[in-house]
Amino acid sequence: MDQKLAKREKYSGQSLINSRKLLTLILLGVIFFSFNQIPLHEDLLNPSGMKALDMFFSGLFSIDVSRQFLGLVINATIITIAFAVCGLSLALILGVPLGILASGSLNSRSYARYLSIVVFRAALAVFRSIHELVWAWFFVAAFGLSPLSGILALGINYAGILGRITSELLQDLPDAPINNLYSNGASNGQILIYGRLPLIFPDLLSYIFYRLECAIRSAAILSFVGIAGIGMQIELALDDLLFGRVWTLLAVLALLILAVDLWSSMVRRHLAS
Amino acid sequence: MIDFYQVSKDYGSLAALKPIDLHIDSGERVALIGPSGSGKTTLINLLSGFIEPSFGNLLIDGNSVANLKKTKQISRVLGIIQQQFDLVSHLSVIHNVNAGRLGEWGFFKSLLSLINPIGKSEVVDALESVGIEPKLYQRTSTLSGGEQQRVAVARVLIQDPQIVLADEPVASLDPYRSEELIKLLVDLTIKRDKTFIASLHKLELVREYFTRVIGLREGHVTFDVPVSKLNEKMIAQLYSLDAS
Repeated sequence: MDQKLAKREKYSGQSLINSRKLLTLILLGVIFFSFNQIPLHEDLLNPSGMKALDMFFSGLFSIDVSRQFLGLVINATIITIAFAVCGLSLALILGVPLGILASGSLNSRSYARYLSIVVFRAALAVFRSIHELVWAWFFVAAFGLSPLSGILALGINYAGILGRITSELLQDLPDAPINNLYSNGASNGQILIYGRLPLIFPDLLSYIFYRLECAIRSAAILSFVGIAGIGMQIELALDDLLFGRVWTLLAVLALLILAVDLWSSMVRRHLAS
Repeated sequence: MIDFYQVSKDYGSLAALKPIDLHIDSGERVALIGPSGSGKTTLINLLSGFIEPSFGNLLIDGNSVANLKKTKQISRVLGIIQQQFDLVSHLSVIHNVNAGRLGEWGFFKSLLSLINPIGKSEVVDALESVGIEPKLYQRTSTLSGGEQQRVAVARVLIQDPQIVLADEPVASLDPYRSEELIKLLVDLTIKRDKTFIASLHKLELVREYFTRVIGLREGHVTFDVPVSKLNEKMIAQLYSLDAS
């Protein structure tokens, strides 16, 4: 009873604008300012662009499904998938261990824990704050135009993202199973493999699937570093104004994403049962 | 065996447990009862070492729980059963039971056991003695609440500690399964000469299966008597809705 009274007293004296409301106001201001910065008074549409747009959409009615072109498409698709899978694998090998370190779950002493969190979080932040296209540019400068440059670029950027997700999932776990493992006499390493990792596994897995979708898209875009994937084929078709081919390639890209989505929901359903 | 010397716990201005002195002997079966928020869980969490006392000393055989917790020795002393939420639901049953042995195992042995489980026959024995079919490789989340609870008991059996602590172990079970589980725990603790401390809401189970009962209200011990001395007046006072 005393507590309730104390609470009521505490809140009755509070002003209308508390810090949360203030933050909301500031954010609304930022959004308004951002919209204001868009030069809406200039012509949004480029008049001569209308013709190109028309050509682009009429390509829909002349989709290229010739056997010769489809052979090319299949080849490009396989390369794109291989590239995405390699990049994502590198990201997992690099990102998950770094994420574990960045969660601090291997350290009991508070200062070691703090140090581990700060150092590895910072490393992960550097990895992901640089876009894969910029990483690709770095690696092309270092290794030349080769698939390795693209895989490294994708792998490092995605490692930053996966590492961060891993560390956050590890930090948000329920206490009960972990506390119980401590009372079983388990060390931090044992708790990791018997508790923390199995507990985050389903969430991490569905995130990895989502990242596979992203990797396929990125792999298509990154083809400029010398991978003959879907992106390169789209670029070539656009250069030659062969919009029928562009549509075929876009359809394949969409189908790939859909396939990953189906696969992921199948795996998740299996895990939930 | 267990000694509380003026142990208290507060969270800021909220006193979850006011200073208490308590002595529990080896082999006792102690039930903690009291309304929600009375400090039962706080007391069990202090004993488990999940939280540390704000003041006072809490000793088990002369060692402080905080010190025990720093060593793998804790697994020899304390085993804990909560509601089923304390299992790792995506691991298979065998690994959840084998977790009871992590105190004895090193890291690589435990890693190896995740791939090729060690000590299968003991796990089968433990699961049989808690009365469930040994579905070793089934994912734990696919078992019913009652079965998961028994897996948690099997884990404590494998761990084989001196003291078994249970925080409302039957809160999520139906009356029939509640009684079965308490009976199972009591039989096992008697057979293996353990000390058993549990928080409970079901008074008929307290009367039937425990030797000592401690009533808690607003962080105070209101009574601490052998079960035979527990009477209706004490219970009425313990649960009365008037502010005391």
